[in-house]
Amino acid sequence: MARSPARRLGKPIASVIAVLLLWQFGLPHTNIPTYVLPLPTAIAVRLDQTFGALIGNLGVTASTTLLGLALALVIGVLLALAVIFVPAVNAVLVPVLAAFNGIPKIAIAPLFIIWFGLGLESKILLAFLLALFPIFVNALSGLVEIEADVFDLARLAGGTTMRIFLKVRLMNALPFIVDGLKVGFPLALVGSIVGEFIGGNRGIGHLILSGQFNLDTPLVFAALLLISLFTTAGIALISLFEKRFLGWRPSRRQR
Amino acid sequence: MSDSTVEPRQPAPAVAAPTALVELSSVRKVFDDLIAIDGISFQVTDNEFVSIVGPSGCGKSTLLRMLAGLIAPSSGAIRLRGRPLQGPARDVGMVFQSPVLLPWRTALENVLFVAEMRGERRRTYRSRALDLLRLAGLAGFENRMPYELSGGMQQRVAICRALLLNPSIILMDEPFGALDIITRERMGFELQNIWSASRSTVLFVTHSITEAALLSDRILVMSARPGRLVEVVRVDLPRPRERRTLSSPRFVEIAAHVSETIAGGWVE
Ligand SMILES: Nc1ncnc2c1ncn2[C@@H]1O[C@H](COP(=O)(O)OP(=O)(O)OP(=O)(O)O)[C@@H](O)[C@H]1O
Ligand SMILES: [Mg+2]
Repeated sequence: MARSPARRLGKPIASVIAVLLLWQFGLPHTNIPTYVLPLPTAIAVRLDQTFGALIGNLGVTASTTLLGLALALVIGVLLALAVIFVPAVNAVLVPVLAAFNGIPKIAIAPLFIIWFGLGLESKILLAFLLALFPIFVNALSGLVEIEADVFDLARLAGGTTMRIFLKVRLMNALPFIVDGLKVGFPLALVGSIVGEFIGGNRGIGHLILSGQFNLDTPLVFAALLLISLFTTAGIALISLFEKRFLGWRPSRRQR
Repeated sequence: MSDSTVEPRQPAPAVAAPTALVELSSVRKVFDDLIAIDGISFQVTDNEFVSIVGPSGCGKSTLLRMLAGLIAPSSGAIRLRGRPLQGPARDVGMVFQSPVLLPWRTALENVLFVAEMRGERRRTYRSRALDLLRLAGLAGFENRMPYELSGGMQQRVAICRALLLNPSIILMDEPFGALDIITRERMGFELQNIWSASRSTVLFVTHSITEAALLSDRILVMSARPGRLVEVVRVDLPRPRERRTLSSPRFVEIAAHVSETIAGGWVE
């Protein structure tokens, strides 16, 4: 059942508009102060006034997030490979990683500011740290969760470890890694923003914090709106990749 | 154990004697404390179609995996063309009970998978793969993904894949187990065609006595665990076997005999 994009988007857009109308015209009848919940129009006005600053800071946050995510992708997949192909790594690294994963990583953020400074490095590394685990764990599952018969088949045909890796393991891992990215991307954003909350003077997190100091709630809302648009765009991009290259996934098949 | 086979054990091959394609001598397989295979000896010659039947858990799959060199016997020896088998056998095609297709590859790409594993170029085997798919009745489905194929079609892709590199031995582990009775029968006849065209040797595990009697030159009947060879039944029906073979008196006789042998009833 293929529906046109316009029809698919119709209902969500209608419900968003309904909420906005209710918000705009219902709010004046309550006694909620505007610094707690500003009117949608007030947010729109503030968005317009501060658009340049918002976009500039979003750009900073987006860069640290995406760099952190890219780093997590590379390191996460490499770690998964090491675990599979180097038994010693499997024995040593996995328990260490599991223990490390038990620490709430946000709690490490202040330490990262001390270690790596107030600049962008600490944000990139925080984004990396948060996105690393889901990507690593998913990559690992994807590389090993393969029927034993497939390996038997490959070995009977004369498959070398390298060929099996490239044509079986890696291909099998791809959708798992994409899932890891879907989870890791919003987490990387959390890492960046928390980093900006704690130290530094750039990024959308910094802007939100200054909005809080000045009770400039419309600015905070405008910033949140832009962040969610950024996240949505990122996820949409990943889904597009999935649709184009991983159409064979059970969840992606057309009925 | 010595009475477990009808075939006389041959002495070590003399100079002039032709070496058997496959030779098992006193093969045993023990998993921890579980005896799966308890001393099996038999030989298979070139171009033979041999079925293996026996109760569930008697070690048929284990036997095939040993023949493929995927697992080693606990004792005894397996020789391919007179050479002791060490590690995964080259020159062996395998069909498992489930199709085991890679979901991200089309039917054609799945057939070509074994060529790629061998380090060959796809291009070299492409036309052969297409021929095999056509022979298996899959013309027009070459570029479909596995999920777009029915279970029987997937299994036929798996059979084409096992044939691609023209192996001298094809091991099939209940390849039609998941199919309905009609498709299964049709696939049996198709397999007979493919086999007689490819001149390879087939070892075929099945739970269907009809299938075994219809397709085989010989049927190896195994006992319940620990797996031993109870009897080797020679099927002397003329080829090609057709649907009417099923109702020929000789066929019925052989099938009844195999059935009683499996059940442990002895018929002279
Ligand atoms: N890897 C293994 N480890 C331990 N025991 C095993 C292993 N593989 C097989 N077995 C045991 O060996 C025996 C024979 O198993 P096998 O799979 O060969 O039986 P089978 O004849 O193929 O049965 P079926 O007809 O049900 O497929 C069984 O009892 C099984 O539990
Ligand atoms: Mg079995």
